[in-house]
Amino acid sequence: MMRRKTFGLVVGAIALSLALGCSVLSDTESVPPKHPEELPAGRADCLECHDDISTGALKPYASFRHSIVFIKQHSMYASQGQNLCASCHGASFCQTCHARKEELKPNTKMGDRPDRVLPHRGDYVVLHQIDGRLDPGSCFRCHGNKDDSRCRACHR
Amino acid sequence: MRDASHGVNTRLGMGLCCATLLLLLPALLPAPCLAADVTLSSQTYLLYYEREVTGGSDKEYAPLYEYISGDVSNLGGNPLSFHFYGWGRVDLGDDTDDDGTGGDLASAYLQYIHPTGNGEMRLGRFFLTEGVAAEILDGIFLKGRTPSGFGLSVFGGVPVERSITSTDEGDSIYGGRLFFARSGFAEIGVSYLKEDGDFQGDDREMVGGDIWLKPGIPVELSGRADYNVSTSSLARQRYVLRLMPSSRLDIAVGYEDYTYADLFQNTLNSAFSSPAIDNTDEVQILFVDLDFLIAEGLTVEAGVKSIQHDRSNPGDATRAELGLRYAYNDRKDMAGLSAAFVSADQDANEYQEFRAFATYSPGPWRFSLDALTHQYEKVISGIDDAYQVVGSAGWQALPYLKASWDVTYTRSPRFSEDYSGLVRVSLDISAAMGGN
Repeated sequence: MMRRKTFGLVVGAIALSLALGCSVLSDTESVPPKHPEELPAGRADCLECHDDISTGALKPYASFRHSIVFIKQHSMYASQGQNLCASCHGASFCQTCHARKEELKPNTKMGDRPDRVLPHRGDYVVLHQIDGRLDPGSCFRCHGNKDDSRCRACHR
Repeated sequence: MRDASHGVNTRLGMGLCCATLLLLLPALLPAPCLAADVTLSSQTYLLYYEREVTGGSDKEYAPLYEYISGDVSNLGGNPLSFHFYGWGRVDLGDDTDDDGTGGDLASAYLQYIHPTGNGEMRLGRFFLTEGVAAEILDGIFLKGRTPSGFGLSVFGGVPVERSITSTDEGDSIYGGRLFFARSGFAEIGVSYLKEDGDFQGDDREMVGGDIWLKPGIPVELSGRADYNVSTSSLARQRYVLRLMPSSRLDIAVGYEDYTYADLFQNTLNSAFSSPAIDNTDEVQILFVDLDFLIAEGLTVEAGVKSIQHDRSNPGDATRAELGLRYAYNDRKDMAGLSAAFVSADQDANEYQEFRAFATYSPGPWRFSLDALTHQYEKVISGIDDAYQVVGSAGWQALPYLKASWDVTYTRSPRFSEDYSGLVRVSLDISAAMGGN
C-alpha cells in the first residue's frame, strides 16, 4: 500500500512537471543531441575547436578533454548529466561497459583497439582476486547491483 | 518471480512488448513525421576457444554474438529521437550455457531534448546516471533547468536488474535530483533514490550530494557523497581536486572512503556480501593522477593510489603506474608502454604489470599488437606470472563495412597455454530519410 502511495507521488510529480511544460526552462541553448560535425579518428580533444563553456553542460570544454585524468573521473561528470557525452559518443556508448547483462569483456569486443582505456585486460579472472580484495568498491560500481550468474559460479 | 534467465516472466514479457512497440514507433508515425536521421550499427563477433571441462575432456566453443544499436533522431523534424541497443548469442559449437542462446535488450527509449534549458524526457528502457543513481530502468526520466539556475530531474519505473529475488510484485525504482548550476562556475546537487526490493533484508534507499566548483582559475573541485538511508550511515565519499594549468597538463589529487557494510548493503551480487567479504572493513584511498603532453602526440600518464584498510586482512597496498603513449599517422594510430607496481602488506596482494601495444593502419588495413604480463609476488595455482598477447588484423572493405580477426594467446594460472580466435564484422549505416 505504502509502495503504491509513493509511486503515485512520483507519477504525480512527473505529471506536474509535464503540466508546467517547457515554459519554466532556461533559454540557454541545450546540448545538441548529436555533434554537428563528424569527429576525427582517435582520442577526442574538444579544445581543438572549443575554447569556451558548453552552453548545455555549463562547464568549460577543457574539463572534458579526454586525458587519463578525465577518463578515471568521468563518472563524476556523468552523474551531473549525460547529454554532452551522448552528443559525441551516441546513446549506447556507456552500455558497452556499463551493462546489466554482458558476456563479452570490453577488451574482447575491442581487441583491435589496444589504444582504448578499457578495464579487465589479460586473464582478469585471476587478477580480480587481488584487485577485488584491495579495492572492492571499484568493482562494486559496475558489478555490485547485479545478480551476475557468472560470479555465482565461485561466489555462492 | 522466476529468474529471467530461465523461462519468461511477466516483467520480461512486458518489457519486450514495450520495446517492440517503441521499435515500431517510427513506422507507426504518419507520413509527415517520417523525416529522420537514422544511424544503424551492427557488430558481429564469432569467437572460438577450447576449454578443458570436468573429467579432463576438451570442449570447443564457438559463440556467435550480434550487437545492434540504432539511433533515429530528428524525428519528423522535431528534437525527438529513438535509441536502441541489444545483443543476442547463438552457440555454434558446444553450448556455453543450458540452451546455447543468450541475449539482452540493453536499451530502447524515446527521447525528447528541448532546444533550451537542457530540458529532456526519456521514455522506455535506458541507462541513467543522475546524482546517486546509476541505473538501467524501464520508465521515465524528466530533467530541466530554470532561468535562475535551479533545476530538477525526476525518474521512476521498474529496475532492470538480472533478478531481484524474494519479491513477488511491484518492484519499483524512483528518485530525482535538485541542483543549482551557474555557467562555468559551479554545479551543486542533492539526489535521492529508492528501489523497492530485497537487498539483504531492506529496500535500497540512498541520498546523494554532488558538487563541481571552478573558482575562476584552472582548478576544479568535484565531489560526491552517498548516504545509505537503510543503514543510516555514509556509504561512500569521493573528492577530487583537478589542476589544469595548461592544455598540456592535467593533474588530479583525490580522496575516497567507503564502508563495506553501508556501500555493499544494497548488493545483489554475492561477491560483496558476507561471508565472502568482511563487512566490518572500511577503506580509505588517496590518489594522484597525471596526464602530460610532452610533445606533439607524446603523452606521459602516471598515477599513484594508496589503499588503506581498517582490517589487517587484506591489509594496505599502494599501486604506482607510469605509461607513455604516442599518437601518429594523423592520430589514427597509437603505440604505448606502461608499467604498474602494487606493493602490499601481504605478499598475496603484490604484483607487477607491464604492457606494450602498437597499431598500424596502412590504407584500408589496420594491424594491432597488444602484449601484457603480470608477475605475482606469491604463486597462484603454482604459477607466478601470466602473459597475454592479442594480435589483430582488420580491413575496411567499404566506408561502412569493416572486418577484423583477432588471435589471443594466454598463459596464466588458469591456462597452461590457450589460443582463442575472434572474427569481427562491423557495419555502420547512416541515412537521412525524407518525408513530406
